[in-house]
Amino acid sequence: MPYVLWFDKAGKEAISLVGGKNASLGELMRADIPVPPGFSVTTEAYLAFVSGDLKERIEKILSQIDPTDMASLEEKSQNIRQLIINVPFPKKIQEEIESNYQALCQVFDTPEMPVAVRSSATAEDLPGASFAGQQDTFLWIQGVEEVLEKIKLCMASLFTPRAIAYRVKMGFPHEKVLISVGVQKMVNARAAGVMFTLNPINGDPSKVVIEGNWGLGETVVSGLCNPDKFMVDKVTLEIQREISLKTTECVFDSLRKEVVHKDIPPERREIPCIEDQEALELARFAKKVEAYYGCPQDIEWAIDRDKPFPFNIFMVQSRPETVWSQKKREPLLGKKSAYELLLEKALKPIKIGF
Amino acid sequence: MAQKGFPMPLEVQYPKELEGWEEMYPPYYIFSEERREWEEKHFWYHDKIHAPEPMYPLDLIFHEAWQISLSQYTTRVFCIPPAQGVAQRMVGCYMYITPVAPPPQELIGEKAALFQKRVFYVFDHYDALWGLWLKKFRALGEEMANIKVPSEFPKFEPDDTVFPEPRGYYTSYELIDAWDRLVNAMIKGWQYHFQYLNLAYLAYLLFADTCRKLFPGISESTIGKLVAGAYVQMFKPEEELCRLARLASAVPEVAKVLKSDLPAEKKIEALKKTAEGNDWLVEYEKSKDPWFFVSCGSGWFHYEGSWTTKLEIPFGYLKSYVERIERGEKIERDLPAIDKARAELAEEYRKLIKTDEDRKSFDDTYKAVRTIYKYAEDHLFWVEHWFHTIWFEKVREFGTLLVKNGMLKETDDIFLFNRFEVPYLLEDLATTWALGVGVPSRAPYWQAKAEKRKKILEAAKKWTPIPALGTPPEEVAEPFTVMLWGITTEKVQEWLKGVAIVPTEVTELKGFASSAGVVEGKVRVVKLLEEITQIEQGEILVCPTTNPAWAPVFTKIKASITDIGGLTSHAAIVCREYGIPSVTGTGIATSVLKTGDTVRVDGNTGIVKILKRA
Repeated sequence: MPYVLWFDKAGKEAISLVGGKNASLGELMRADIPVPPGFSVTTEAYLAFVSGDLKERIEKILSQIDPTDMASLEEKSQNIRQLIINVPFPKKIQEEIESNYQALCQVFDTPEMPVAVRSSATAEDLPGASFAGQQDTFLWIQGVEEVLEKIKLCMASLFTPRAIAYRVKMGFPHEKVLISVGVQKMVNARAAGVMFTLNPINGDPSKVVIEGNWGLGETVVSGLCNPDKFMVDKVTLEIQREISLKTTECVFDSLRKEVVHKDIPPERREIPCIEDQEALELARFAKKVEAYYGCPQDIEWAIDRDKPFPFNIFMVQSRPETVWSQKKREPLLGKKSAYELLLEKALKPIKIGF
Repeated sequence: MAQKGFPMPLEVQYPKELEGWEEMYPPYYIFSEERREWEEKHFWYHDKIHAPEPMYPLDLIFHEAWQISLSQYTTRVFCIPPAQGVAQRMVGCYMYITPVAPPPQELIGEKAALFQKRVFYVFDHYDALWGLWLKKFRALGEEMANIKVPSEFPKFEPDDTVFPEPRGYYTSYELIDAWDRLVNAMIKGWQYHFQYLNLAYLAYLLFADTCRKLFPGISESTIGKLVAGAYVQMFKPEEELCRLARLASAVPEVAKVLKSDLPAEKKIEALKKTAEGNDWLVEYEKSKDPWFFVSCGSGWFHYEGSWTTKLEIPFGYLKSYVERIERGEKIERDLPAIDKARAELAEEYRKLIKTDEDRKSFDDTYKAVRTIYKYAEDHLFWVEHWFHTIWFEKVREFGTLLVKNGMLKETDDIFLFNRFEVPYLLEDLATTWALGVGVPSRAPYWQAKAEKRKKILEAAKKWTPIPALGTPPEEVAEPFTVMLWGITTEKVQEWLKGVAIVPTEVTELKGFASSAGVVEGKVRVVKLLEEITQIEQGEILVCPTTNPAWAPVFTKIKASITDIGGLTSHAAIVCREYGIPSVTGTGIATSVLKTGDTVRVDGNTGIVKILKRA
């Protein structure tokens, strides 16, 4: 079993190896959607890492946990995560990760190429199971050492207090939950955000609703800003825009070598963060993704500031839209014929407002 | 109910120069003390769609006719349950209208039963009914065209009216009878006009509702696009011009004449000199009746003229079409492609529908609207254009007779008298003729009246009437008011906010987002069709409203902005077809914008931004 699998080699059939998020990237690539390249460190790698002595030590700590005692839970969780971070990867796994990261750097001819490191749990499809913890996305990671460290942090996120408590409460065995980690080329985002293949406000299936802000998509995903909103009609491609006052963006600070929140300069605050042609291209991809999956989707996207249109547009995540898709499909027009509807319309009291 | 903003009808202050305006119109058109309570309860707004200009008394006949016709179909014939008619009043030469308050609840039930029985029948049989309607209407038009108006009063009635049997009635009767028949034909034509129109609009509104339930964010312009037909009679005049231009371009002698800068009359003379020219003229005559009986304006005003009276218009178009054919351009609208695009659009939306039941409801209502909405598109040519053109020509025969006999100074002065007054003049003339020689008429009285009325109308033109009177509604949901006049709750609010705008201070106009797209450019303000020749390639057309006589100009412009008209107005439909942005119903575009101003037209949002003043 491989320790590393590139996204384009692993779709939904490989979900137990690469986790839900990474598998969906593989699927997007199969649908000819532009996705920044990268690879998954598989659950196999996790299993090989957390085995033997490390596994026993973790289990021992877990067995001492009293889930009703918050202080104890917090302390033990901390111990486990520290343990994982301190133990080096087995040589074979480390080499695999290193060589594949180098390969990714070579593709773009960029040593120390910035990547995003994200966890991708295999149990995410359990109802309400957001076990993977919170600290599971690391942006703009450069160099082998840092990549290895963040992969471990992602793996350790399986043992946050919340994740542990949740599994105990649900009676889900800790050893059954596995994790994969995605290492993906970072998009140097001029703007980014999310989009829905229907209008999340009213369920209108004829619209793609795009929300975006300057910089990385985190400000939109986490609801830290008022994003610009573009509503594109899937058929006519008419665009309705709501341009917000955007004050904060999330960007990479090359001096501090980290992703920071920055004030948006006044001249960019009130102008649209994407151009019409970009909105249309995004909508086109949204339709394609929806058609590929056969159900409404919730998609994360980014626009690369270094590439020319249309090669600057990337999808970085897609998952099924949940709110409207789970509603029962009742006919909106109540199974009525034209005449029944006409009579209904004609009988509707007219308001002239006296 | 005291509301800030709009005065009550009887509170309107008129400029001194308008004194005497009331006597030009029938007494029931004037706001009055005895109907005050009822009138003040209603909301009266200036009908800028059908009557943007001060009303000539005789041109009021169309409105008199539609007030009755539109209303009776709603209240007494097809019985649209909660709706009543639309009432009219004159305010200083401008026409105001109001949707009448809904009927009592018990009547709604009674009407509903009749509505179902009658309306569904029409929907089921529409295709056959349309054929019958057109036959009947064309016969009425022919009848009107064939009314014989005496061209003069004879010194003595000729022998053939005496032998072998004295006819028993003579020129005096013929004149009065001809007028009555002319008026009756017009009134009847307008009774026909609304035969299916309310139902067509109702079907449109039904389909729009259906679309909005399935796709809450669907734009009005998309709904319009789904409904609009490609094969519309209103476009026939333009199609005939294309046909004639093609014929001409195949014959160099004819093309040369049409491309020349001669006046239209001289072009016809020149064409008559050659065999090829005569052949072409035969084709021209074939197209002319009925297709060039098209008004240069909306068809509502005698002074607009038609392609049959203002020959420079069709000949101007012919010149540019022949030139464009020679440059290898395609001048015809590709009707099958337009129709195909519409069908594909519908199919794309249909595919997005989630359940089979909804798909069926969509198909049902779409079929219903596609069947009957054709009426809304096709009646327009036959009534407002063809029929009105015949009317104006006939009325001018009476005008000419009155001028010939010294009753009026100019033929068109007859339009200064309303339809009940014209018989006074005719009878005065017939009486003096019958009485013998040397008998005076009241010609000076009529001429003085005409002079005075001209002055009043001139003064009214300079007066800016208030947009609305009476009690403003909190909500306008009466479907015909929204559909026909584009009066929405927002519009009323806007009126309430700024009754007196200063044109030079306006930086942005708001109207209906009628055709998608955004462009920037210089505007050309065109108030009359005659000015249309000044339009240059790539300009943005700004005009009060457009109609089919303007159609050929749409290939030259890159956007259009109108004062009046909603999403199904002519400008909206044609712009969508040509894929150029359009903002309609701005209310004030022609008064705020000046030729040469630079603007941004956003057909997605309905906003026109003034970027730079000329």
